Amino acid sequence: MLVVDDEEPILFAMREYFTTCGYEVDCARELEEAEALISNMEYAMVIADMRLTGIQGAEGLELVAFVRQRCFSARVIIMTAYGTAEAEGEARRLGVDSFLHKPQPLPEVAQIVENLLGSKVCA
Amino acid sequence: MRMKELSGLNAILGPGGLTARFQPVIALSPSGPVLHALESLMRGPSGTNLESADVLFEYVRLKHEESTVDRACVQTALQAAARLPAGLRISINVHASTLGRDSDFISFLVRTADENGIPLTQLVIEIVEQKPFWEPSLQDALNRLRQLSVSIALDDVGLGYSNYRMMLDCKPDYFKIDSYVVRGSHDDLYRKAVLCSIAQLAAKFNAQVVAEGVEDAEDLEAVAEAGIGLTQGYYFSKPLTVEEFLASDWAHFSPAPMQPASQISLPAVS
Repeated sequence: MLVVDDEEPILFAMREYFTTCGYEVDCARELEEAEALISNMEYAMVIADMRLTGIQGAEGLELVAFVRQRCFSARVIIMTAYGTAEAEGEARRLGVDSFLHKPQPLPEVAQIVENLLGSKVCA
Repeated sequence: MRMKELSGLNAILGPGGLTARFQPVIALSPSGPVLHALESLMRGPSGTNLESADVLFEYVRLKHEESTVDRACVQTALQAAARLPAGLRISINVHASTLGRDSDFISFLVRTADENGIPLTQLVIEIVEQKPFWEPSLQDALNRLRQLSVSIALDDVGLGYSNYRMMLDCKPDYFKIDSYVVRGSHDDLYRKAVLCSIAQLAAKFNAQVVAEGVEDAEDLEAVAEAGIGLTQGYYFSKPLTVEEFLASDWAHFSPAPMQPASQISLPAVS
């Protein structure tokens, strides 16, 4: 899976948790870095923060569109602390599989990942 | 699983952000393999997602920083090449957009080659492009490179935008066939047909052909049967650091005689 967030502690926590769950985890902090990885790897799951530049951005939504162009079968989860109905609607329109509000306990994120992938990895 | 401690353009352009490897380009001669050139291949910041060249350059293109990073790659490659034996051809990848849009790039190339003691006649510029770039300024830049006796190679022939139009615009001295065409060609009639077709086309351009991605003896034989005289790939050597190259057998091979691009005369078109 690919986890995209501009906050290093979140990346660290997600990487540690999902690696322990048995997933192979790549991490990226920038939109372009994530897109470059998606262009060269096959990911079953992409989990992205909606804002990757701090204030007004919605790069996570750009990433959803990019994933849908390049890797249609990948599942995509958007996480945000600034979720509005408009943003969620736009994410759904772009084809996001799940739109989550931060903070979100990691076991609950893992449950959603498992449901989307049809796998049972985390105990 | 990979996690970056450093990332982004600052890491690429910072100290040690780029490192050069050199992969031998081998001439298939009746007396055996002969070192023809070394292609410089870049690695991004160690331990980051960008260490992989594929991810690195995709990132650079998405950031629209091809010119900045191409300059850094030229500098890194030529500084490393200065520690190689004299007289070797050094091949460096440059985006077509950099040649066409960075009006000072060639001056930078000349200056950097001079600073590192690399004669321009030993340089091959490999043109890469992942998106359409059809501007007259590209041809102006290529003409200037030819006047300076720098050779031109078209990379990734057979894929993407290394197509007939780029061949016509670039009139390369080398056609570098992408590994997608080469790998598995020994038991694939269609791949063999493409190899033969490119070899014949290159001959009409009076250009040499390099088959990239040769990894086993069977594909090497298919390449030779197609009349292709130059190969590159893990069958002969992986990309090497300068130290690895100096410790390898290839360091003791004499380079094949060089023919600067400016001395090549194109055949008359009938």
